[in-house]
Amino acid sequence: MAPKSILKKSTVSTNEPSASSPFTQRHRDTALHHANLIEQQKVVEKEVLQSIITLLDFPTSPDADPTRPAPSDALRFQDLIISFQTSDYDSLIEERNIADKCGYALCPRPKKKAPSSARKQFIETDKGVEIVDKKTLEVWCSEDCARRALYVKVQLSEEPAWMRRGGVGDKIELLVENAAEHHKALPLRLKQAPASKPVVEEEEEDIAGAWAARDDALADLALERGEKPGRLSKANRELLQTDIKERVQSTPPAPPEPPQSSGQSHMAIEGHVPRANKSNESDDEDGQDWDKHLPG
Amino acid sequence: MDDRNNISPAMIRMWRVYRTVKEMCMDRGYEMLQEDTEIPLEVFNARFSKEDGEPDRTRMHFSCQPTEAMLAKYSDPPTAKIPHPVPQIGTIWVEFNSDENVGLKQLRDYMQHLVNGNFYSGIMICSKPMTGMALRLLRGSAGIEEGPKGGVEVFVEQDLLVNITKHELVPKHVLLSKEEKQQLLERYRLRETQLPRIQVTDPVAKYLGLRRGQVVKIIRKSETAGRYASYRWAI
Ligand SMILES: [Zn+2]
Repeated sequence: MAPKSILKKSTVSTNEPSASSPFTQRHRDTALHHANLIEQQKVVEKEVLQSIITLLDFPTSPDADPTRPAPSDALRFQDLIISFQTSDYDSLIEERNIADKCGYALCPRPKKKAPSSARKQFIETDKGVEIVDKKTLEVWCSEDCARRALYVKVQLSEEPAWMRRGGVGDKIELLVENAAEHHKALPLRLKQAPASKPVVEEEEEDIAGAWAARDDALADLALERGEKPGRLSKANRELLQTDIKERVQSTPPAPPEPPQSSGQSHMAIEGHVPRANKSNESDDEDGQDWDKHLPG
Repeated sequence: MDDRNNISPAMIRMWRVYRTVKEMCMDRGYEMLQEDTEIPLEVFNARFSKEDGEPDRTRMHFSCQPTEAMLAKYSDPPTAKIPHPVPQIGTIWVEFNSDENVGLKQLRDYMQHLVNGNFYSGIMICSKPMTGMALRLLRGSAGIEEGPKGGVEVFVEQDLLVNITKHELVPKHVLLSKEEKQQLLERYRLRETQLPRIQVTDPVAKYLGLRRGQVVKIIRKSETAGRYASYRWAI
């Protein structure tokens, strides 16, 4: 008896899947999908690089005030970072720092200089002297800029723009003192506003009213959903790590506050140095604001 | 004075890097005197050390011209229409960056300097790796508006402490001219895509400054076959 072949009978060999079979079609679709993603990735990466180069020279005026930025600068900034990942934003800060500038793109001042050139620095806080990396000291020009910059950062997505199924989010909000000017500069508002400007004052009031109403509505919505503004919990911190862009914002984002004591040093972001000088205030306000905009 | 003990470790380190860079330029085909690649430590120390004994990188820059042989290698084969093709190589500017952190600012300033000085290409040697964004700019820099025609290459000092091509296990790599490449493909009736490949990021490819599409001949010594050559297409 002839030895039996250990190989399987090749029954399929005669009818190989034709080019149009669903099997190869699926493979082709997958390949195409990946090719598209890679293409989009290249485009986004180039855009981000160009945006960072542009923002290296921001703000456009050397005596700009980061608390009251020119509407044109603010709009451009918001536009340019819409497709940023948090890591891209970190890169922006890094590149500005290398150019000796404050990490916040709307600030024209130089970054803070550490008192000495030592790698570790001693910083006086209410809790006593703390040891901090020199690098983390030299990121911002001031606490205020740190706050404004981080306010932007928490709104950015961890997910690369080419992977975001919901597309890029709407708008990144800024922390500004001259909000009225900026609201007027919003494209949305411009569409509704008549081109004639004889009643500027009234209009400004109008706009401010509209925005206040919007904020109220958002706050109501948040309440309705049973969201209670609470302190920064571990769960909330984890929420921060994930993509916050794809969800509906229930309340207008609120500024993150610098952490208050060494007990909260885990909150330090972006090398922002903990400085406890607010111990007199009741601290639940800060905790609230920090995560108020996150869906519960 | 010429006792090695009086020379700082940083200075000795920098001397090694400097010599490797000079050798690299010579091996690529730039005009370079052998003795330039063999600068003694004492001479180097006297020329480039600061008062505190640390290397003064800002004074170490230099430029070099391609030799006739190199110009020929980087030219298209002459045709009836174009009897004197323009070589795709030119003066190179080599700079040693002394900044602690190198990012977009330094890279763009460097590119601007190359363009202003009419340099064909440039090599920047940094003490630490550049930022991710600077690398991103570098990857896209060959052939874009911003930089010089021949692009910019960046090395980290650490990678130049020894000359890898002098290691006994590294076979000799020789760049083929465009004409030689054509002859090779014709002789074996090959398309270039059929050749085995070498990444332009390969350490030897980086050392030689290989560009995508070029072909290198790799000459190995074999106990059984004497010397044998293989070819690789840079991608
Ligand atoms: Zn600032």
